[in-house]
Amino acid sequence: MLRRLLRHNETYLVLLIVALCAAIAVANPRFLSYENVSGFLKSCSMIGIMAVGALFVLILAGSPDVSFTAIAQVVEYAIAVATLRWGGNIYVALLAAAAMGVLLGLVNGVIIHSFRVPTIIVTIATFNIYFGMLYVITAGKLINVVHPMFRAFGNTLLFPQTSPIGGTYGFSLMSLVWLAAVVLGWFILRRTFLGRGVFAIGGNETAAERMGIDTRRTRLFVFGFVGLLSGVAAVVHLSIVQSVVPNIIVGKELEVIAAVVLGGASVFGGKGTLTGTVLGVLLFAILNNGLTLLNFSSYWYNVTIGVVITVAITNSAYQQLRHQRSRVHVKVEA
Amino acid sequence: MRIPPFLRRPSANRTLAGILVAIVVLMSALNPQRFPTTGNFISMAYQLPIVAFLSIGMMVTMLSGGINLAIIATANFTGIVTVLVLRAVAGEAADQAGIGVALLAMGGGLAAALAIGAVMGWLIAYVEVPAILATLAMMTLLNGVNLVITKGYTLSGFPEFLLGIGNGTLWVIPIPFLILIAVVGLLAVLLNRTRTGLSLYLLGSNPIAAAYSNVPVRAVLVRDYVVSSAFAALTAFIMMGQLNSVKANYAESYLLVSVLACFLGGVDPFGGAGSLSGMVLAVVILQVVSTGVNLLRMDPFFIQAMWGFIILALIAATFLGGRLQERRRLRAARATQQGAERPSGDARATVE
Repeated sequence: MLRRLLRHNETYLVLLIVALCAAIAVANPRFLSYENVSGFLKSCSMIGIMAVGALFVLILAGSPDVSFTAIAQVVEYAIAVATLRWGGNIYVALLAAAAMGVLLGLVNGVIIHSFRVPTIIVTIATFNIYFGMLYVITAGKLINVVHPMFRAFGNTLLFPQTSPIGGTYGFSLMSLVWLAAVVLGWFILRRTFLGRGVFAIGGNETAAERMGIDTRRTRLFVFGFVGLLSGVAAVVHLSIVQSVVPNIIVGKELEVIAAVVLGGASVFGGKGTLTGTVLGVLLFAILNNGLTLLNFSSYWYNVTIGVVITVAITNSAYQQLRHQRSRVHVKVEA
Repeated sequence: MRIPPFLRRPSANRTLAGILVAIVVLMSALNPQRFPTTGNFISMAYQLPIVAFLSIGMMVTMLSGGINLAIIATANFTGIVTVLVLRAVAGEAADQAGIGVALLAMGGGLAAALAIGAVMGWLIAYVEVPAILATLAMMTLLNGVNLVITKGYTLSGFPEFLLGIGNGTLWVIPIPFLILIAVVGLLAVLLNRTRTGLSLYLLGSNPIAAAYSNVPVRAVLVRDYVVSSAFAALTAFIMMGQLNSVKANYAESYLLVSVLACFLGGVDPFGGAGSLSGMVLAVVILQVVSTGVNLLRMDPFFIQAMWGFIILALIAATFLGGRLQERRRLRAARATQQGAERPSGDARATVE
């Protein structure tokens, strides 16, 4: 049992997270309070939603998508402007954001499928196009006032509590949206033929094709799904910050990908779990939150993240190496 | 007329050279007062080496099938270490320091860069961490360290010698451009004429075959990342000279540009293929385009979007070109088969 657990990357992540939490909680007991935990679960919900999409692409292609933040940025701006002009309610906004995201994501899918080029190259291109055109069209203007429904949506709490100083806190609806995205992703990956196809193509595309998996449909689905999640993440972000700074989301893509990869997704494709992805996102959120609570200067944030990523990937590579050695013995004459 | 050998060998270079000529002509036609002037070409020769060194540093890792996302962070780290050494030795009078002190400081920076390269190479070769992860982690770590050291401030005040590396001229030729030529020549010898260079190509195209052919795969990989970091250090020295300052996050936008340059230069991101001559042509094209559109006073964000369109156009062109070549080959194959039994089924099904 223990040995089986030790083979999973997730086990090490859980251990790391528990150790970190314990250390931070000892230094500052407020860390484990309901107020703080619900707070950081809310703040990392956008990254968490995007990570689900990034996981799908990594499994399918073994090459990361870097354009999803640009998609979210474009959708966020468009939705903020559109709701200010035409009003509407949050459901319409969510639907419109999702639809727009799907459309922008499908552009990636179509290009990647028809020209057979690595995902990272195409998505670098579309990233530049989406982000560049957003600035050309909007001249980079900030939007300081957004439609009030986003505030209402973002501040919705489940199990609210009143703090002694008067504010209310609780489990945010935004975290629930994240949870919904994770469950949906899990269902598609693990319980549908489509999800099996994603793994199959990631493992060996030719074999998947021979098996009768429709690679075109699967690939288009994955990139459409990433777009959809980016659209939803955009609305979640808009509801949390209630303003639009047109370069606030872009630049987060490497952090999202790092979280997914920390969660054990293979950069060669065909491997990855949603549990791992959620743990990866949580690890970053806990680090970020913990450093703030411990009054570390924000300069140290990247250093800590860098050290943690290095340790985690080195460990997972080392485990894999040991696993391989214990199974096959190939002697290469030197 | 004899065609120079670097244009004769890979046919892709001829296409690149054609594109370059076309773009120069186009830019000159669009902006006859400002583009085709000696001053403009000299200023391009100053700017070219930075992008070129970063792209070449990226290329050498791509030849092994890897990538170096930490290249810009390494360059900034080199600059910062150089300044730290400079201040430790010369104290307040850092900008008055002589050549000896400057060289010592640069040696310190270079050593730091090489150590970073060795650590990444070790992680990739011996612990078998995928290159994209090892370098991503190093990038995050170095960006953090750079910020912690500089606290986000800009450090400046360098000795004459360092400024000369970035700004000086020999007759009329900018010194950074001369360094570029010398280094490209050296690297060409390293890649094409030494055991390490040839091993690198072999290792990139098939690591298992390389291991069975007695190539010290791991050692070559480590050397590869050390060389890549050396290019980051070179970039750092030239940037220091030109900007007279270092900062935690200079030149971050060049990361994607350097990947783009490799793609344009025909480097296979899965390793094993890519020529230095193609890379140099690609970098020159990028420089001419970016200077050209800058002189036309276009919106910089429109230029960013344009890079995206250029990549997509290139992807489409490569794909269609490949299709065309395939069809031609099939037709040739069918012609030689004439008289024998007709090829059965869809011709496309026979390829792949």
